[in-house]
Amino acid sequence: MRKSILNFIIAFIAVCTGLQAQSLSGSVTDSEDGEPLAGVNIVVQGQNQGAVSDFDGNFTISNFEFGSTLVFSYVGYKTLNLKISSTDVISDNISVSMDKDLSELDEVIVIGYGSQKLSDISGAVSTVNSDAIEASSPVRVEDALQGQASGINIISSGSPGSKPTVLIRGITSYAGNDPLVVIDGISATIDDLNSLNPSDVKSVNVLKDAALASIYGVKGGSGVIVITTKSGERNSETKFTLSTSVGTQEVVRTIDVLNASEYAAILNESSVNAGEGIVFPNISDFGVGTNWQDEVLVDAPIVNHSITASGGSENTSYYVSAGYTGQDGVVAGGEKSFFNRTNFTTNINTDLSEKTKLLINTNYSNIKGKSLAENGITSVLSNALNFDPTVSPFENGTFGISETITQEIVNPLAQIDNTYNENKVDKIQGKIELQHELMENLNITSRFGYTYVNIYDKGFIPFQFYGTGHNQTNANPDLSPIVTVDSEGNITSTHNRVFEGNTNFFNYTYELYGNYDFTIDEIHNFQTVAGFSIGEGKGGNISATNEDVPFNSWDYADVSAATGNATQQTSSSWQYVNRNLSYFGRILYDYDEKYYASFTGRVDGSTSFGKNNKFGFFPSASIGWVVSKEDFFDEIPVLDYLKFRASYGTLGNDNINPQFSLISTFPSYVFNGTITPGSSLGSIPNDDVSWENQVQMNVGIDTRIFNDKVSISLDYFKKTVDDLLFSPNLSLYLGVPSYPTTNIGSTESTGLDATISLNTSVGGLSISSDINFTTAENEVISINNGDKYIWGAGYGIPYRNIVRFEEGFSPGYFFGYLTDGVFQTQDEVNNHATQNGAVPGDIRFVDVNGDGIVNDNDRTQIGDPFADFTIGWNLNLDYKAFDLSVFTYASVGNDIYRAYERNLNYTNRFASTLARWTGPGTSFDEPRVTFVDSNNNSRASDRYVEDGSYLRIKNIQLGYSFPDSLTEVWGFDEVRAYVQVKNALTLTEYSGYDPEISVGGVLNTGIDYGTYPQPRIWSMGVNIKF
Amino acid sequence: MKNFKTILLLILVTSVLNRCTDHVDYEAIEGYQITSEIYFQQEADYDAALVGTYDVLQWLFFNIQLGAIASEISLCGGESATDYIGIQQIDDMTHYPENNVLRQIWQFLYEGVNRANYMEQNKANIDFEGKEAMYGEVYFLRAYYYFELVKFFGDVPLFTEARLTAGEAGTLTRTPKEEVYAQIELDLQNAIASLPNSQSQVGRVNKYTAYALLGKVLLYQDKFAEAASALDNVIGVYSLVSDYGSQFLRFGENGPESVFEIQYSNQSNWYDWGCAHCSEGNYAIIMNGPRGWSGPEYAQGWSFNVPTAEFYNSFEEGDTRRDATVLDIEAFAAATGASYTEGYDHTGYFNNKYIPRAGESGGQTELNYLTNFRIIRYSDVLLMAAEAYNRGGIDDGLAQEFLNQVRRRAFGDDDNDISASGTALTDAIWEERKFELSLEGHRFFDLVRTGRASSLITGFVEGKHEVFPIPQQEVDISGLTQNAGY
Repeated sequence: MRKSILNFIIAFIAVCTGLQAQSLSGSVTDSEDGEPLAGVNIVVQGQNQGAVSDFDGNFTISNFEFGSTLVFSYVGYKTLNLKISSTDVISDNISVSMDKDLSELDEVIVIGYGSQKLSDISGAVSTVNSDAIEASSPVRVEDALQGQASGINIISSGSPGSKPTVLIRGITSYAGNDPLVVIDGISATIDDLNSLNPSDVKSVNVLKDAALASIYGVKGGSGVIVITTKSGERNSETKFTLSTSVGTQEVVRTIDVLNASEYAAILNESSVNAGEGIVFPNISDFGVGTNWQDEVLVDAPIVNHSITASGGSENTSYYVSAGYTGQDGVVAGGEKSFFNRTNFTTNINTDLSEKTKLLINTNYSNIKGKSLAENGITSVLSNALNFDPTVSPFENGTFGISETITQEIVNPLAQIDNTYNENKVDKIQGKIELQHELMENLNITSRFGYTYVNIYDKGFIPFQFYGTGHNQTNANPDLSPIVTVDSEGNITSTHNRVFEGNTNFFNYTYELYGNYDFTIDEIHNFQTVAGFSIGEGKGGNISATNEDVPFNSWDYADVSAATGNATQQTSSSWQYVNRNLSYFGRILYDYDEKYYASFTGRVDGSTSFGKNNKFGFFPSASIGWVVSKEDFFDEIPVLDYLKFRASYGTLGNDNINPQFSLISTFPSYVFNGTITPGSSLGSIPNDDVSWENQVQMNVGIDTRIFNDKVSISLDYFKKTVDDLLFSPNLSLYLGVPSYPTTNIGSTESTGLDATISLNTSVGGLSISSDINFTTAENEVISINNGDKYIWGAGYGIPYRNIVRFEEGFSPGYFFGYLTDGVFQTQDEVNNHATQNGAVPGDIRFVDVNGDGIVNDNDRTQIGDPFADFTIGWNLNLDYKAFDLSVFTYASVGNDIYRAYERNLNYTNRFASTLARWTGPGTSFDEPRVTFVDSNNNSRASDRYVEDGSYLRIKNIQLGYSFPDSLTEVWGFDEVRAYVQVKNALTLTEYSGYDPEISVGGVLNTGIDYGTYPQPRIWSMGVNIKF
Repeated sequence: MKNFKTILLLILVTSVLNRCTDHVDYEAIEGYQITSEIYFQQEADYDAALVGTYDVLQWLFFNIQLGAIASEISLCGGESATDYIGIQQIDDMTHYPENNVLRQIWQFLYEGVNRANYMEQNKANIDFEGKEAMYGEVYFLRAYYYFELVKFFGDVPLFTEARLTAGEAGTLTRTPKEEVYAQIELDLQNAIASLPNSQSQVGRVNKYTAYALLGKVLLYQDKFAEAASALDNVIGVYSLVSDYGSQFLRFGENGPESVFEIQYSNQSNWYDWGCAHCSEGNYAIIMNGPRGWSGPEYAQGWSFNVPTAEFYNSFEEGDTRRDATVLDIEAFAAATGASYTEGYDHTGYFNNKYIPRAGESGGQTELNYLTNFRIIRYSDVLLMAAEAYNRGGIDDGLAQEFLNQVRRRAFGDDDNDISASGTALTDAIWEERKFELSLEGHRFFDLVRTGRASSLITGFVEGKHEVFPIPQQEVDISGLTQNAGY
């Protein structure tokens, strides 16, 4: 396949005029088919002149001096340097032919226990290189994958350093869809990516189908993200790169809530409608009051610095880097909310002997953070939305309080002030690997990979005052403890409290495998691998709490400093261990790089599996056919390359714990006034439980057209999961033990991934653009747990369930009442199905089952949080020293459930309330306001479901590379400066902060609990190489 | 040389793999977990399992709350019309099978049954001194759980041999309540036979507790003669305290009038809202407190279970029980300068028997109130005995005497003695139960048992609301039949 012959022709045609400077003409063609190339950029090296070839491939350069070098560059072709002396030119014309640059296709990518040329792969894979990662300069590397690779959905949050939801090809399991992450051959998780410096990453390959992922067996069911970090080059001088960027983050949207006078008026009306008196006699006193969102949202800085050095001698290469990332939260700012990461990476590769190589990769990271409550009714943003706007932020030197709100909702500034916590993570991850060439083409790899994490947490609940009788208040207004004396004269007091916890994880994997590549009859090519893997993961935690922190101060907040007595101190611990043992093998075969086949298999054993099912086998196979290599193909115009691929195989998912019939020592009862420990049966085992078994099918086409300017990849997939793992809903008369996880359900996902890339240039402008399209349709095929569904997340007080994972439906859909406008008259209420408590002005709920009564049985599907499709569009433009990259992402068809309204009588309301019903004909969708909501207008219904489709310009980066003349003076090889805007523009109909909502799991996707919005980030930076 | 290396490598690989054969086995001991296979091997295991069987009593706070809220004397209250919608619906008699509160009551009671059965299933493992007396407690508790099930739901699945296994899900059907009652009586007779007259630890049931419960169970079946003879055993064993209200305060707990109390403590600092019942405190207490309270004696709560003005005003002149039972919040606030905010269904009255009192909770205030539930008091025994003697036509004189013991304590004199007989006496006894035992969880079930519910409770439909619906989830999963009318 490698057609690396430089095949340019220079025709010598006479005429030598003897003039040193003259006009030079010529034509440029494709070396393979002789077609003229239009738009080739031609410059005279070292001079500020050049030309661009026209539609017929012709160009002319005036004032050409012989002896100069011409540089021909064209997207998709190898750059050609041509020195032209007078004797070379025998007419006034030169003919130049350029070779296609197939390096992208020749790129060798890591696929797990080996590597393969991208063009040889017959499975489904997406790759993202370091350029794309640099262009988006993310805090976490997986954020850079969003929209860059088809088949992958990333849903991010604006919270500093937070883990996004990563879905590869839809949702298959109810528990956990996180893909496996493999960093330089070491198994890791998405959580581990918080400690990886994105600038250390060389490439990210996403293994999407069974043919590729099944080498990872039971862990590969949700796809595999293979990350390769950078390494040094042999025989090269030390190269340094220095990157730095600083930026500021701002929240673009706020949510319209009532201002103080509107609030007062609406509350008066609510009270009157409930038959009570007016609450605020004089509305005009209030003005606009306090906008709590403005009080808590701030502009916050974000910085990134990294320095790397790489190089190598004849026997050794090295890459070392140090990086620092600091992100402050846009909610409340960096004093109480930040994510700071420091990284040190060392990758060393050295020859121990002629045939033995030693690779040592070590990555140390240190993370520090503080966080505020988010994603819930007690979050800072929820308080900002729901708190009383008539209250001032500060009154008489203390935080303003509400006399009327006594539950959950508090002055968010007071909440921020009273939140004290910190989180410190130390992590070492790395590998020690020996590669030995046993004989020609037979390489043995022995690799020990490890991850050690130490997490320290501390939290402090100080004395706090949110108003007398508020349920969050634990102190008097002067922050002294509340002392109470009961009827018998016993004195009790409230306390402040400190918590400390220490958590350790240690995972190791040892792998030994051999790669053997051989060719038979020069036409049958084989790449084989076989080996085994053994590993263990351990974790443990010890935590303690105590009361009475001296001076009620964070400075003294430590269990050792707190003065609480023995009964005030508590401690706890937990630990786990899991182990696995696997054997794997793979054969890749091709016939003359025209016909491809692969067979992969892995046997996985795990402590998680039931006693009767310790080992599972996960095989897969794939075939490929490069049609364009067939003789008949030459006849087809336009098409330059065409390949068909197909794969089929099984994978797994092992989100279970070892199961036993366990005695719980948790129960206790009170005898003689003293708590007495007891016991009960806590859980029941299932010895037959096994992995979730996934069958995946993939068919795909790769093609390139128009002289390789356009390339298209298209994949259709179908995943079926049998043996879905569940803790079933068993009969309630079994009581409350946790019942065993069993394999009792199945799901199916089908979808299409497509990537279209365009590489061309117009004038001196080179254009590279690609569009990714991802769609996945998911359905729960069966759940055999009696009532055919399980509940997912809910929200609010009182708690309302809204998410179901139900047979025959999309997983995690929204479930609730359908609404049908507002009752205008009593007649309408009377004519409707019986709806208890409804009066004119209340919401009319649909009697879905037609039994004449509106009740829980009328709840139905009211939304689906998963997008119909997503599109990512990258555009990269280069013009002379300037480069511009723009990345746009769109998600279409996903619903969002608004769940951040507290609905207390005295909490604030949304501006939409102003359009409420006040009499027949006044409103057909916004109900009356009242303190006594006898109709339960706030029940879970489609009133709260909104279309969450959006289009967002995620990233714009404009860079300028300084000319060599300047950089040489400065002593650098390359200097590039850039300005960047992230989340520049969002188009959406959604009314909340951010339509992109990440809370982590399938069963609570798309619920907006007052999501932490992704800020717009303005930043500038510079990259220097020397 | 090359071959030698290969062989060496093969040996290495094989030996490593051999070592690994048991690498993926796992035993519970690695996580320091106790399995059932090694349990019930020593007396201490039985002691602990019995404590676990008592434990479920603490989860039954909704049972007590509903006894009042479902009746005419108390409203649901709370924050709004939608706060604890399951209880609001029961207050309004609009409840239907989908009801979280009823589902919890059902599941918790069956957890109690299963814990008792788990002891039954392991009874023969070992022998130790006092085992029979211990199982007297087990049978009492099982009888109590089944009695609550029958009171709430009528016919219910009955099983007594062992804890159910996962495989038995969906295999049971509802047993007629007569058979369930027969099992309850049998368990109580067995308990009476083996329980001691008194226990060394406060909170454990004794022989008289079992007699008292047996009397109640028999009365619920209108077996008056048997009830009278069962209750006779309890008469004179306990005594009425002179100050009615004192027994509902902290230091009146487990007093001379207390026959059976569910024990709570404020010594833990439980704060997991996801498992409110896991606390050692009484969850009902925070529910019944005044909202946004700032003042002496009481502490703030959620304004549930609010007595009606009609009920407050129906107490006779001179009845000391009125102010011990109902807190007139407006009068109290006016007298002490306290402040509060009004909740839904605000009546101006609060449940003074089960209410948050300042300083009686633990570190986490809401979930750790120490207040015990008074399940059977001696005055209840006297009134049950009076009813049995009267309605059984056995001895109205004795019935009057029992009734008047209760009234004399309430009024502090014998000026209010009842001298009626026959059905007039029956009515007087029933009326007395309302004032003596109100807000303690009896009222709704007394009205149902005596056929007066439909005339006193708005929305009560005869032939339907006598029992609550079987939880919809249980109907769906287990295929149980639903109660009539739901």
